[in-house]
Amino acid sequence: MNPSFALKAENLTIMFGGLKAVSELNLEIPLGSIFGLIGPNGAGKTTVFNMLTGVYKPTSGSITHGPTGHRVDGKKPFEITRTGVARTFQNIRLFKDLTVLQNLLVAMDQNPSFKKYNLLPTLIHSRSMLDNEAAKQDAAIEILKIFKLEHRSDELSASLPYGDQRRLEIARAIATGARTLLLDEPAAGMNAHETTKLMDTIRDIRKRFNATILLIEHDMKLVMGICERIAVLDYGVKIAEGVPSEIQKNPRVIEAYLGKAATHDHAK
Amino acid sequence: MGLSNQIDKTKSYAGLMSLRWWLLAIAGTWALDYLLPSMLSPYIFQILVLAGINVILSVSLNLVNGFTGQFSMGHAGFMAVGGYLSAFLTTSLVEHRPDLMIDPVTGELLGTAVIFYFGSLILGGVAATLVGYIVGLPSLRLRGDYLAIVTLGFGEIIRVILLNTDAVGGARGLSGIKQFTNFGWVFTFVVITVFCVWRVVHSAHGRILQSIREDEIAATAMGVNTTQGKVRAFAMGAFFAGVAGGLFAHYLTTLNPGTFDFNRSFEVIIMVVLGGMGSISGSVVAAIVLTVLKEALRPLQQYTGVDLRMVIYALVLIIMMLARPKGIFGTKEIGDLFRGRKKVKGDLT
Repeated sequence: MNPSFALKAENLTIMFGGLKAVSELNLEIPLGSIFGLIGPNGAGKTTVFNMLTGVYKPTSGSITHGPTGHRVDGKKPFEITRTGVARTFQNIRLFKDLTVLQNLLVAMDQNPSFKKYNLLPTLIHSRSMLDNEAAKQDAAIEILKIFKLEHRSDELSASLPYGDQRRLEIARAIATGARTLLLDEPAAGMNAHETTKLMDTIRDIRKRFNATILLIEHDMKLVMGICERIAVLDYGVKIAEGVPSEIQKNPRVIEAYLGKAATHDHAK
Repeated sequence: MGLSNQIDKTKSYAGLMSLRWWLLAIAGTWALDYLLPSMLSPYIFQILVLAGINVILSVSLNLVNGFTGQFSMGHAGFMAVGGYLSAFLTTSLVEHRPDLMIDPVTGELLGTAVIFYFGSLILGGVAATLVGYIVGLPSLRLRGDYLAIVTLGFGEIIRVILLNTDAVGGARGLSGIKQFTNFGWVFTFVVITVFCVWRVVHSAHGRILQSIREDEIAATAMGVNTTQGKVRAFAMGAFFAGVAGGLFAHYLTTLNPGTFDFNRSFEVIIMVVLGGMGSISGSVVAAIVLTVLKEALRPLQQYTGVDLRMVIYALVLIIMMLARPKGIFGTKEIGDLFRGRKKVKGDLT
């Protein structure tokens, strides 16, 4: 069994009361790809993320994690993360009062490749527990080096500049051991220079960790620049999917973003 | 920069005081137990013992309120569970199996009776843990004010149950408890409590708790089982509260349900807040300062004839909250202040 997808959503639907926020969504994220999920404000992109990561329970439909073959819909967020799908947040959610290194260690503690110790070895500081802690710290510092944050490892995460906070969030998601990363507007609030740097980082981590990346983004330069495939949502319905050049030309997409007249002008 | 280097780093990060220093501290408490009575008046000695019990309570509550960020107001309830159970166990033993507890010739407690006392303390703690687990599992899904209300209600439920249970004396309370608790026992458990909480907080488990405090949604997105983490912290806090209850019962020698009303919970919360939510040394210092302050103000009351004690007590709290809203130490430990580590963590910005 060697599936070609990292995540697959089939007929994913969620209702909030009478409102169908996402309707019959079919989405297949190819393994190792950088996949963009775009759409106007309120299209349901973050709702899709919340379903994929277990924050919301889909009303119907299924979500399958390719590498393990597990169905993840209906599972709790922490279980999904341990299966191998981690996320970042639109509004940064770091552990503000913890240091940069501790932020990573929280994720590293849950990384399935490290052993967990119960109360007794923790209390008596057994040798193997300390070795495990040291190994986790090494691994965390390795990741910080990739993100060029190792010199700030002892600073409180809240004291980092904005761009670094965003990157630390991605680093933290990687530290969980997950190789399917869901980035919710990673470039939000970044300037052009920072966005370019972020694009390099995303490409780099994909290569380094064999990761699959699904991202929501409004910055079209970033989306068109690094995504290999793009899906477009509007009012909870997928209206288009394809490579960036197709999406740019798709009349329904232009209509969703700019209105009907724009499509008309474009056609002329 | 080898692995051994990293392990050293982990050790220093984990605040490793090797085990023997803790054992030495326990030995020290017994040495003091032997020496102090000849140096201090019994009154001051009593204050020290009560301060020790308060240290156990505040440090264990800090694990829940400070490190995990769950506002529990039911600490007196757990204290009551542990206190009543352990006192009930030892008094029943004295009553039904006096041969195990009391020397038939002199009528004094046997040396070996201490074993049963110790056992009853642990059982009291275990019972409190179980109750904590049962209360925590459903209620820790609630947040903030709601959790506070549930735990406050829990404390009252325990008190009312005890009030109506004849086996433990009902409203009259439980009396005739043998006075096993002394300075040595109290401070042995102070050392054990500080040791356990310290090591847990400075471990992977502690990071789980702190991540829950910082941002529960982010924590669960990082794979942290937040419900489990909260319940564990709650149960561990309850254990030490139960033990403190047992120590308290065997010191006062009488218990009544009123001892464990919500004022008792508030007192402990005040210690935690005053010392700094998330600072173990802060809790220790605040528990001692507040216990001593309460007693130190007693003469004032005799001079003035008015109960100024509570007024001053309240004033101290108000001034503290204005001057250092995060408590004496904030989230720092006493050592950090001298070493100047975690500079950025100051509260005055």
